[in-house]
Amino acid sequence: MSDAAVKQNTVFVRPASSFWGGETPVAVVVFLGLALLPLFAGGYPVYILPQYLLFGLLALSLGLLWGFAGIVSFGQAAFFAFGGYAMGLVLQAGLGPEGTWLAIAVATLVGGLLAGISGYFLFSAGVRATYFVLITLALSIIAEQVAVSQSQITGGWNGMFVDRLSLGFGPLGEVALYQDVAAYYFVLPVVAAVYFAARALTVARFGKILVGIRENEDRMEALGYQPWVYKTVAFSLSGAIAGLAGGLYASHSNFVSPSLAGVLFSTEVVVWVALGGRLSLFGALAGGVLVSALSNYLSSIAPQYWQLIVGLVFICVIVFFKQGLAGLFADLAAHMLPRRPGGQRHG
Amino acid sequence: MQTVVSVLFDVTLITMVLALAAFGLAIIYGLVGVINLGHGAMLTLGAYFTWAGIDAGLPFFIAVGVAGVGVGIVGIAFEHLVIRHFYDRPFDTLLLTWGFFLVSTEVVKIVFGTSFRNVTGPFPGAIDIGIYSLPAYRTFVAALSAAIIIATALVFFKTSLGIRIRALIQNREMASLLGLNIAATYKLVFAFGAFMAGLAGGLIAPMLSIDPYIGNVYLVRSFFVVIVGGVGQLLAGTLLGSFFIGGAETIIALFSSQVVAQAAVFFIAIVILRFRPLGLVGGR
Repeated sequence: MSDAAVKQNTVFVRPASSFWGGETPVAVVVFLGLALLPLFAGGYPVYILPQYLLFGLLALSLGLLWGFAGIVSFGQAAFFAFGGYAMGLVLQAGLGPEGTWLAIAVATLVGGLLAGISGYFLFSAGVRATYFVLITLALSIIAEQVAVSQSQITGGWNGMFVDRLSLGFGPLGEVALYQDVAAYYFVLPVVAAVYFAARALTVARFGKILVGIRENEDRMEALGYQPWVYKTVAFSLSGAIAGLAGGLYASHSNFVSPSLAGVLFSTEVVVWVALGGRLSLFGALAGGVLVSALSNYLSSIAPQYWQLIVGLVFICVIVFFKQGLAGLFADLAAHMLPRRPGGQRHG
Repeated sequence: MQTVVSVLFDVTLITMVLALAAFGLAIIYGLVGVINLGHGAMLTLGAYFTWAGIDAGLPFFIAVGVAGVGVGIVGIAFEHLVIRHFYDRPFDTLLLTWGFFLVSTEVVKIVFGTSFRNVTGPFPGAIDIGIYSLPAYRTFVAALSAAIIIATALVFFKTSLGIRIRALIQNREMASLLGLNIAATYKLVFAFGAFMAGLAGGLIAPMLSIDPYIGNVYLVRSFFVVIVGGVGQLLAGTLLGSFFIGGAETIIALFSSQVVAQAAVFFIAIVILRFRPLGLVGGR
């Protein structure tokens, strides 16, 4: 009953009917552009962009959950950090270049399993969306404290060193990602692949059922779906993507520390997605990349005022622009291309 | 014997201080249904306002009172500008009050800086009662907390203002048809919750070192106090929830570290929420 009020606020957006409609062409162009970037620029941008892309992937993990299932998690950073620690621990086991694939898989699985278990525990009891936020907030506090207190494993506040990856291809040899360009051309396709897979999932039946649950959970239940199963699967997927992003981030930045699991970072992810556009996967991804990049750049110039502006913009987005930047672009596109079907509502 | 008595006193003091910290949240969440993630920031503001008041030469209790009123005014401003348009969308109020936290924290950092501040409490000593000596200031705060909660409950259950507020919670449409000013009553309740949070922040300030994130410690705990106790159960819910959260943390901390205890209590609270989503008091 209380969830009825939650639903009122989500602007109804028709699920995209085809993969190639809507945002996909934009995403293709942007990814192609990024693929060409190292030809024109080198040095710092090529070093730092993969890290922003992985923040974008973390934002996408929340966008999938928030935009399509209508669930907000304030604990995505916990999966991100645990993915990072898992990556570090498996790499430390010294399994050679072939073991790298195992490390990537374990980082993804750790995120997915943690989310799956907590999701099953909570959604099977019908825990409300508002309580879910508070519980995930508590989970990220617990995760941070676990990371701090288990210092013999995690290194405590000092964090853990994580080596760059070296991918083994059996008899074909191995590809080391110590060079920034190599790392760039590994992270970019992974982020693009996850984005397109998630995009395909949201336009498929699964995504439509999720949107149905977001719009009216009782009706979906009456139609014979079990909402908690879909919510649990969506949350697991979201946790797995966050774990993968965290594992790759830890390896790329050579470092994972408890603050990556904490409440402040978790809620930063919420801000990225809100600004980027919670109803668009590409909006969420772009929000993560752009806002984290801007934060990093501006916090060296005007550290305090930048965070203040982010907070004020966040409130304005919730009040006035439900669909964030992606919504603004969609409006703009609708004006430029009048042949689009009319009647689209934006909050 | 000595340990039992000291644990008993510890648990009582922690329960009452936690109840004080959570009370503003219990009011705003329980009465007007706003999931106030800005509660922690309101506690922080209260602590800083108190520090600033003392710095300006005010006596401690006047400074705490001014801090409470100050946070109450900030609360009214926020309610008037933003929250009042969203009472029918609880999930948006959650995000908006989180935005309040982001903005308030940054403003505190800009105005007061990020270094630790200390407030000296008015009663530095201890009360010796034979087998145990109570920290005087904490004991005073615990007693004050009990007095505040009981006084609020009396207003709520015994005055016409209380009847009006309860009528609003039970049936908003009917209450407004009977001539109740909904907007004003909601604003009053929100302001009172913010005032209580500011007061609590000021009173807690001498027990801790103040930094811009001090309220966060209490934010999640306060929520668990309110939810575990039962949303809307102002008196029994807040006390029972605080007893449960504070007491469990104290007892678990006897056997392990403070960090493990906090994580364990959060975990237990999550399990309780899963099986009793209406809280321990709210049975139906």
